[in-house]
Amino acid sequence: MRVAIIGASFAGVAAALEVRKKFKQAEIILLEKQSKLGYIPNGLHLYLDKKIASLEEASFITEEQLQQQRIQIHLSSEVERVDVAQKQVSYQSPAGEDTLVYDKLIIATGSSQLSQKISGCDTTRVLKYKRFHEAEDALEKLNNSQQVTIIGGGQIGVEAADLLQKNGKQVTLIENMDYVLFKYFDKEMIEPLQAEMEKSGVTLHLNQTVSSVEETDETVVAHLLNESIVSDTAILAVNVRPDLRFLGDQIKLHTDHTIVVDRYLRTSEKDVFAVGDCIQLQFGVDKDTFYIPLINNAIRTGMVAAANLVEPILPFKGSLRTIGTSAFDYYIASTGMTEEESLFYTHPVSAVRQKIKLSSLPTAETATVKFIYDKESRVLLGAQLLSKANILDKINTLALAIQTNQTLEDLMQKDFFFHPVYTNLIETTNLVTWPDVRWGAYED
Amino acid sequence: MKIENFLEKHEIREITIFQKLVLSGGQVGYTEMVDHLDISKASLDKDLEAITFRFQSISSNVRIDYDGHMISLFMGHEFSLEQIYQHYLRQSIKVSIISYLYEHQEFTITQLAQKLTVSESSLFRKIKELNSYLKEFQIKIRNGRLQGEELQIRYFYYQFYWYIADKSALASRKNDDQVERMTQAMENFLQATLDPESKQRIGVWFHISKNRVNSRSKVYKTLHQQMEPYHEDPMYHKVRTMVLRFFSRYSIEVDEEEGMMHFIFLLAFPILSENDFHEYTLLRGRRTPTAALDTYIVETIIIQYNLRKLPYMLEREMYYFLSQIHTRMYFFKGDIEIYDYDAILAKEKKFTGKDLLSFAKQLRDISIGKLSIEETAGDTLLKMELLKYVSLLAIVTFQTATILQIGIDLKMESIYTKALNQLLVMNMQHINGTHIEKYNPKKDYDLILTNVPKGQKDHYGKAKVYVLSEILSPFDQKNIQEIIQNM
Ligand SMILES: Cc1cc2nc3c(=O)[nH]c(=O)nc-3n(C[C@H](O)[C@H](O)[C@H](O)COP(=O)(O)OP(=O)(O)OC[C@H]3O[C@@H](n4cnc5c(N)ncnc54)[C@H](O)[C@@H]3O)c2cc1C
Repeated sequence: MRVAIIGASFAGVAAALEVRKKFKQAEIILLEKQSKLGYIPNGLHLYLDKKIASLEEASFITEEQLQQQRIQIHLSSEVERVDVAQKQVSYQSPAGEDTLVYDKLIIATGSSQLSQKISGCDTTRVLKYKRFHEAEDALEKLNNSQQVTIIGGGQIGVEAADLLQKNGKQVTLIENMDYVLFKYFDKEMIEPLQAEMEKSGVTLHLNQTVSSVEETDETVVAHLLNESIVSDTAILAVNVRPDLRFLGDQIKLHTDHTIVVDRYLRTSEKDVFAVGDCIQLQFGVDKDTFYIPLINNAIRTGMVAAANLVEPILPFKGSLRTIGTSAFDYYIASTGMTEEESLFYTHPVSAVRQKIKLSSLPTAETATVKFIYDKESRVLLGAQLLSKANILDKINTLALAIQTNQTLEDLMQKDFFFHPVYTNLIETTNLVTWPDVRWGAYED
Repeated sequence: MKIENFLEKHEIREITIFQKLVLSGGQVGYTEMVDHLDISKASLDKDLEAITFRFQSISSNVRIDYDGHMISLFMGHEFSLEQIYQHYLRQSIKVSIISYLYEHQEFTITQLAQKLTVSESSLFRKIKELNSYLKEFQIKIRNGRLQGEELQIRYFYYQFYWYIADKSALASRKNDDQVERMTQAMENFLQATLDPESKQRIGVWFHISKNRVNSRSKVYKTLHQQMEPYHEDPMYHKVRTMVLRFFSRYSIEVDEEEGMMHFIFLLAFPILSENDFHEYTLLRGRRTPTAALDTYIVETIIIQYNLRKLPYMLEREMYYFLSQIHTRMYFFKGDIEIYDYDAILAKEKKFTGKDLLSFAKQLRDISIGKLSIEETAGDTLLKMELLKYVSLLAIVTFQTATILQIGIDLKMESIYTKALNQLLVMNMQHINGTHIEKYNPKKDYDLILTNVPKGQKDHYGKAKVYVLSEILSPFDQKNIQEIIQNM
């Protein structure tokens, strides 16, 4: 069995490794258009944060590791056409045009930072840095910039704002919505971080859309409805999107141009699978599928597709859009549905917010925790955390609780350890109901 | 444009046959029908044959029988003229062209001709014809696409699917859950309660929006100018947030204008309940072109009708309807004439007894001026909005009509008085806006009907007096009617 995989990033590599594990005899070929393998997309952030000494260090896999697993990797090989009837892919490699016949095909071409709406955003002063070569270029330009405009207040934009501001840059951030990180947090939860952000000197423009960008010799100008912002460089930190033009109309796509897949990650064409950032995933409890481009989803879908190559045996469990990061002196994490988003949900939803001490010591830090749950069944649907202490791991407990349909009451019965230095009477991920331990809870 | 613009000449004639039969109690003689349609007997036969063929599959519901002398209609009790119209529209080529265009967004003539099994030249002709009707919407079919301002395109499709094409065909399509959830979300975001019809309207609108959201090279030039005064509107903000949030969950880069179009839709059609709309008016800015015009028109009506005290609920109702009229006039061009303009006018007139048309025209002209609308020839929208002004005035007339008090004071032997009083009351009860009874000296009246000559009327106070010449005579009745109308 010959398995061709287009795209050798998280999803493609995870799929390749899993195919090898499951099918010892399979011939596995990865086609990757970049010349460099395994770059981690927030490498630039790691570098600015001084966690790594050079961008080269931001890497999750090497060619040798793949070769040891008998996985062939063709770098600088861009797939230009797929012929599903002939089961054939055509690609451009340094040696010229080539074709490859497959038994099974996995599409893992991911996404890029691009915008069709913001005219002029493909100019050289508008930086993107998901790929290694882009990051190298961005780093050089950022080093030479004093003022940086960030377009988009999502995870990438907020992290970048924090790091650039710490690196002495003058940062302006523009966000469509009325607060940053709106996909993952409710307004009141992120308020402290946003306040800190403004205090540290970042200029925020909320409720504003960049309609176009213009480049002059020395500067770049972002045009909003009623004003224009001039800076040395800008960062395009809007949602990432797939670009699947090379498929033509052979494979069914959603309205948002992601590939339609079933629970086994099979596309509309036999023997063709799609994974990672080019598909929608089932979100939470509803059957709805959404676009949730995250590395953990890329890896999990890669593994699940590999398991289903020959016969459909392992349905994909969906995504809760679990994220965690730190910026502006706060650790923040989120999983599942937000309260604002629950307006799209058909059942009545309730929410509780509580501030809780993280240990039993007098010097204990606090965390704010928000639970979003089904009003009737009290099954947990979403959670958000914010603290000055690193509580990021706790979000995974809550994500697992949601994935396994736990109610708020089930959560209270978790069998977790107690130690006064490390825990409070009530564990952080529990809803506190004792008035004395409860610091400030707001229930509707 | 009119609904019948989607049909061919012979199809319209066939429908006229049905109409004539319905209006004539189900049976019409051949000669009468030939005269009515102004065609030859042979052509009539051809039409009748065509009808038989067309309704073959549902002949147990509707059928026309004819024998060379008499034509008679059979129609099941749950079947109506409206459904007959729909039956024709469903088979119309022009409707199919628009539906195809909607679904595929782009077409080549060869493709479409094949699909509709017509020749390319007749397809060209139909498109040309359609374009002449689409002109008032300021859109056109060109190079295999519908071109024009995006808002106009969506508005046209909305009217098309709401009134012309089978909207259930839209609804049965995939992703209906999503549309339903969007509708639910709209209710949640606006904190409004939507009735089933509003939900259905929103459903159709969302289908269209979803269909159009990704189409390329959308035009928003006019929209930007029009929306400028509304950027601070509280409902616009809610809708914008909802739209951004909704699309943030997909890999769609949504246009800023998407929220604007939803906002306009919500205000232009009866989506919000009167109550929810009222809540919104308490928050909305008073200076937007439509809000300012709503107030101006309400005031103009108050002055014209000399309404010292406008009932509170009536005022709210007036704002509710005016806001829809003005939103459409301000943002849209063109309309599909779905109600028979003249018939409605005639009906309103019959009930209110007043000619509301000239004042309605005055109101419409004020609005055209205040909104700086460039009038274009054949814009059905302005015609239909005029009809809405008339209806609004009718509502106001009904609800503020002062009841004329009429007393009957006959002086004759009591047995006659009693009988004649009863007769007079029965005879005049049907006159709108009057209350008629036997004269009661303790009450005030606007009009006294009596049979005694003048001179003895001092105790009637301010009431007008009419002396009957001959009780129940047509002459008196005519005079009384006139007096009442002038009061
Ligand atoms: C700045 C930044 C920071 C991020 N940080 C995080 C984070 O901290 N945590 C997190 O969970 N997510 C993060 N993400 C999102 C994350 O990058 C994606 O979810 C993830 O990379 C998806 O993996 P993938 O394998 O599906 O696709 P991608 O990583 O996009 O990889 C697709 C690969 O396919 C190749 N390819 C595309 N087209 C072709 C073709 N025609 N022929 C051959 N090869 C092709 C591309 O070169 C690429 O290597 C971040 C994104 C950005 C932009």
